[in-house]
Amino acid sequence: MRTKMVTTLLRRAYLSFATHILDVPPRLLAFLSFFLLLTFPISIGRSGLTFVVMLTNANILAMFAASWDLLVGRTGQISMGHALFYGVGAYATALLFVYYGLPIWITIPLSLLVGTLIALLVGFPCLRVKGAYLALVTLAFPIILVGLLSYFKDITGGERGVYGLPRFFPFLGFYEQRVANYYLTLLLLLISAIVLYKVANSKTGIVFVSILDDELASKASGINITKYKLLAFAISGFFATLAGSLNAHLLSVANKASLEVTLSFMPIIITILGGIGTVYGPIAGAYILTILDRYVLKTVVDIPTEWHIIIYILFIIVLIIRWPRGIARFVTEKLEDLQEERELEERGKHIWKREKKKKK
Amino acid sequence: MHLLEVENLTKRFGGLAAVNDVSFSVDKGEIVGLIGPNGAGKTTLFHLITGFLKPDSGTVKFLGENITGLEPHKIVNRGIARTFQVVRPFRHLPVIANVMVPLSSPRGSKKIEWLKTTERKALDMLEEVGLTEMMLEPAENVAHGDLKRLEMARAIATEPELLLLDEPFGGLNPIETEYLVKSIQRLHLDGHNMIIVEHKLHALMKLVQRVIVLHYGQKIAEGSPKEIANDKKVIEVYMGKGV
Repeated sequence: MRTKMVTTLLRRAYLSFATHILDVPPRLLAFLSFFLLLTFPISIGRSGLTFVVMLTNANILAMFAASWDLLVGRTGQISMGHALFYGVGAYATALLFVYYGLPIWITIPLSLLVGTLIALLVGFPCLRVKGAYLALVTLAFPIILVGLLSYFKDITGGERGVYGLPRFFPFLGFYEQRVANYYLTLLLLLISAIVLYKVANSKTGIVFVSILDDELASKASGINITKYKLLAFAISGFFATLAGSLNAHLLSVANKASLEVTLSFMPIIITILGGIGTVYGPIAGAYILTILDRYVLKTVVDIPTEWHIIIYILFIIVLIIRWPRGIARFVTEKLEDLQEERELEERGKHIWKREKKKKK
Repeated sequence: MHLLEVENLTKRFGGLAAVNDVSFSVDKGEIVGLIGPNGAGKTTLFHLITGFLKPDSGTVKFLGENITGLEPHKIVNRGIARTFQVVRPFRHLPVIANVMVPLSSPRGSKKIEWLKTTERKALDMLEEVGLTEMMLEPAENVAHGDLKRLEMARAIATEPELLLLDEPFGGLNPIETEYLVKSIQRLHLDGHNMIIVEHKLHALMKLVQRVIVLHYGQKIAEGSPKEIANDKKVIEVYMGKGV
């Protein structure tokens, strides 16, 4: 009796998997990629520790870029200062630990709260400005925070930052900790991606795109633009803050590097690479960029660091010309086209068989 | 109580009065036409009624409530919907999602609880205007004539008491025009009240019971289609003096 229940459940699970993932090439690709990421540390073994650390950074970057894309690629609010949230995440968890001695599993949720509130605060002045002006306003935010941190350097540690932050798995060995960090960040990235995906495909997500496309028409549809813009800031800020907090504990330090301008520019490069306005785009782009930056340009081809930026710029120019909507987007669309062709062929064969039978 | 009451509405841009001391009212059950040469202030009047522009003086009352100068989305949620002269589709969204946006507004979502139900309701709207075939097509790929119908579907999705149509027949061929005339007649029978701005007078006169004529921001005539067609001032405005 019980075995029958189990087999029916398994069968239903497999059918659901087959229709929702196997039959949809882009989703299959995503599933395979995730499977690859999941088994990566095991397949590469102890000697691949540098790669595990590298991909842990990629996980964080992917989370950060995905949060940026919700605000910019999906709701159209240009943010050139996203490092603000990253820095808030890092410093909030650091200061809560140093001054209140709170453990990680309290400091990180608290810093998420702080980050989301700051996102709402920061969203207000952004409501009235658009385009280049919005870009400039957002650019100023992390700079302002850096200024505040310098002013209160007795509290915030100034140039050195706050160090000695607790690690996630201090009870594990050197190698095991890094693998555990990898899986932790991968899990949190998966959860973030699922949440962002659900938001994107909800009524809220559709309204976000309507604001991106035509604010006036959206207002005329009865949408309270202010409410939705602030919501976009809040959600985006939440995940960006999470990325910053996690990274602070991975490095065991929170310093001004978490507020650098280059960090604010990374999501732009990444989403152009991967595909703006999607959830998988920035995630794919984050991995591509990380592998390119930390591996290809250092190990495969030995190029001095000064040349890296030039290569990136050339790379982006080629990308925008060849795949303006991003590489991951290009691959997804190609897969969908192939699937359509296959389906048409199937239908054609089916009709041909039917006609043959009739003639007989 | 009138459905809509516009009193002494005035809007100036610099020294020019785009709408100059205009007053009229619309009652339940009416379709009113709003005509006048280009630049007469018709679209500006729509902007003033729906909150996209704030008037310099005058009031707009809807169902007895003063809605002058309220934010556009608030006015929509009280029951006035509008279309735009130049279509404004949400290009990145498929056609059906275009209609789901107004259904997500507070007023539009009153009877809806789930995402699936929103989709179904959007499909109903698309059926009413005859756009179900291209429901999954991104709006940027859709032809102009169909986009006009999408505009209307979006407007009626907010379940308005008063529908303001700004040149709904613009850019439509005769077949599409006939189709739209029938759609509008059906909407009227369903209980929608409307003000229609339109240049294609042969289509408009078939639909409306009353016509208001604007010229240089001022109301110069009001009456039944027949009266207006024979009104000397109106003929002068459209044809010029000395006819």
